[in-house]
Amino acid sequence: MKQNNSRLQAVRDAVNRVDLNSFRFWLQLAAFALFVYGGYFAIDLGSRLPLFSCAYNDEGRAAICYLLPLQHQLSQPWPRLFSIASITVITGFLTFVLWFIFLNKGWCGYVCPLGTIQDWITALRRRLGIRYSRYSQSQFAQLTRVKYLLLALMILIPLGIGGGFFSHDMSPPFCLICPARMVLPMFTGDVSQFTIDFSSKTAMIMTAVGISITGLFLVGAFVKKRFFCFFCPMSALHYLISKPALLKLKKDGNKCTRCGDCYRVCDMEIKEIADDVKTVNIMADDCIMCLKCVASCPEEGALKATFAGIPILESTEAGFIKRINKGCSDGK
Amino acid sequence: MLATLSMNGYCQYSPAPGKQLELGGRPGAAMDRAAASGAPAGGGRPEAGNHRSNARSDGMGMHSGGAIWLSDAPPMRGGGSRSGNARGGGMGGMNMGGGYGGRAMKRLWPRAGNDPQKSSFAREDAQASTEILLVTPSSTPEGEPLPAPAESHTGIAFEVPAQGYYRVYLTTRKLQGKILNVCVAKAEVANFGHGGDEEEQARGMQAPRILESAPIEIVRERQPNEKMFFQLKSGDEQPFVILQKGLPLPSARVRFVSHQGWSREAVSDEQGRVSFQVIRDYFPPWGEFQKRFKATYLVIAEANAAESGNYQGQPYTSVRYQATLSGSYQPSPSDYMSYAWGLGIGLLIFLFSGVAVYLYRRRRVKPFVEVRFDEAK
Repeated sequence: MKQNNSRLQAVRDAVNRVDLNSFRFWLQLAAFALFVYGGYFAIDLGSRLPLFSCAYNDEGRAAICYLLPLQHQLSQPWPRLFSIASITVITGFLTFVLWFIFLNKGWCGYVCPLGTIQDWITALRRRLGIRYSRYSQSQFAQLTRVKYLLLALMILIPLGIGGGFFSHDMSPPFCLICPARMVLPMFTGDVSQFTIDFSSKTAMIMTAVGISITGLFLVGAFVKKRFFCFFCPMSALHYLISKPALLKLKKDGNKCTRCGDCYRVCDMEIKEIADDVKTVNIMADDCIMCLKCVASCPEEGALKATFAGIPILESTEAGFIKRINKGCSDGK
Repeated sequence: MLATLSMNGYCQYSPAPGKQLELGGRPGAAMDRAAASGAPAGGGRPEAGNHRSNARSDGMGMHSGGAIWLSDAPPMRGGGSRSGNARGGGMGGMNMGGGYGGRAMKRLWPRAGNDPQKSSFAREDAQASTEILLVTPSSTPEGEPLPAPAESHTGIAFEVPAQGYYRVYLTTRKLQGKILNVCVAKAEVANFGHGGDEEEQARGMQAPRILESAPIEIVRERQPNEKMFFQLKSGDEQPFVILQKGLPLPSARVRFVSHQGWSREAVSDEQGRVSFQVIRDYFPPWGEFQKRFKATYLVIAEANAAESGNYQGQPYTSVRYQATLSGSYQPSPSDYMSYAWGLGIGLLIFLFSGVAVYLYRRRRVKPFVEVRFDEAK
């Protein structure tokens, strides 16, 4: 028994000292290959995935982002939507929730291909020695609401289309303005989304807005870490259903010294991670669960990631020192 | 002899009174010429795999009443429509219809004519026998019989509970002199939705699309990587396979008729295959342009066979086969999508925001000011 415990502790120590950045880089790369090129290997994980595996990447996708079928379903004519067909909407949403609760917002930090592209653009900027930008706290407070606004519009506009209030040329509204529609198919050589649709005024405006947002996305992701995740309605939807998720980010406020390391490494600039010493489940709505905060925390057990209540990564002094030393040697 | 006989019409349906076709040129004129030359209508016999010239005509052996085909729109309402129905893809293709809330239904109308827009309701011919078969994703490959519609305008209605392809075969047989005319009007309806069982959808996509007992059949070949919500577009190359009892039928005369009535003829090759490029024939004023305008195409295949036998106690010495298949196509995206504008706007926003961010950040950089402390003091 004792031997088993010591082995388990040894495994835990090894995990807690892991080079999280490298681990994350390779996992993201594998997930990117799976979701952007998996279709070429006949992989199909369905259409209820809680990440931007864009349906417009027609050839390579291994799954479909749930936001597309959700918008399509909601834009059905009302007599159909509010009939037996609503069962498909509900079952679709439940499937999405089941996928989601497995990784919580870890889908954003480790799996989402659009998030990975932003991390790669950030890595490029760092290599070029260009500093990154941060929002002021007042800007942060205002901008963090945008994703909820987009989520509301993403639901209301399709309902309006189904009710005959808006043109079908607006469907699916969020996908038409999502940069993933343009960017992800590009990785399989498909640039067909870089077009303006002149078939109607509505289509023209929607596609022009989509192209413009893609231009802003490329510039924004270059100067601001995870630029788009801040406005992502999928992130807002994630947060609203995150209670039953298995993966959790927990904080022990008694062990926190409020040194601020976790805040400084946070790509999403979530200040509560450093300031809040009362909340146990510390995951904020903007969090992408990259767990960089856990890796950067020098206090034993102050921050930890748990899966179904079992700690899988915990902040330790030894892990912190190991990662700091590696960071220094990499810096040389 | 055969061409002359074909003028007489051989299907059990004929155009309803008062809704005669108004085809370009005199009905049957092409057949007159064919009869005079001893060749199929429209000119000399085309070589296998070769297309013949475009012509807005009713030639190629169709009788003056025109071919019988199945449409998902009744006459006058089928002149192109916006396919705003979220449920169902194309059959390159017919979309789903039916009421909301209850059981999903689909209705097809037998129509007579060689022009998708001008074909009227087909009317039953008491001298001919009719058989309607429905092949569903859950039925046997041989299909299930459907009752004939009481009146032509009510159409053929059937339920579409499962996702997948539904095929309807309207087969008519009629003896005219010593010739047995066998007509198979086929419709393939795709019933797919964004919700529902994905395994069911996959099964529906993989299910066979051929009726081995069909005397003659046109099968639309799938496009490479065709998915559930495929929609044929103007400009696409669309192959078809002509089958007889499930086997390729070479040398069948095949005609593709576009929504506006433009037609092209070809002869099936050794594999029973024939291919047509869907032309662009939708030119509305730009303000009225609809990118989801659902145009209807019609494919008509014909073949003669020196088969003899008895039909309803009467002998025949040859059989004339005719198959029809209709589907829909939409305007090509290249008609209304612009790369130049897309890339131009994207590049402009990229450069503008890039420069703006650069200048903003540069303005915020505080110039270095050296401060020296004299420690000696």
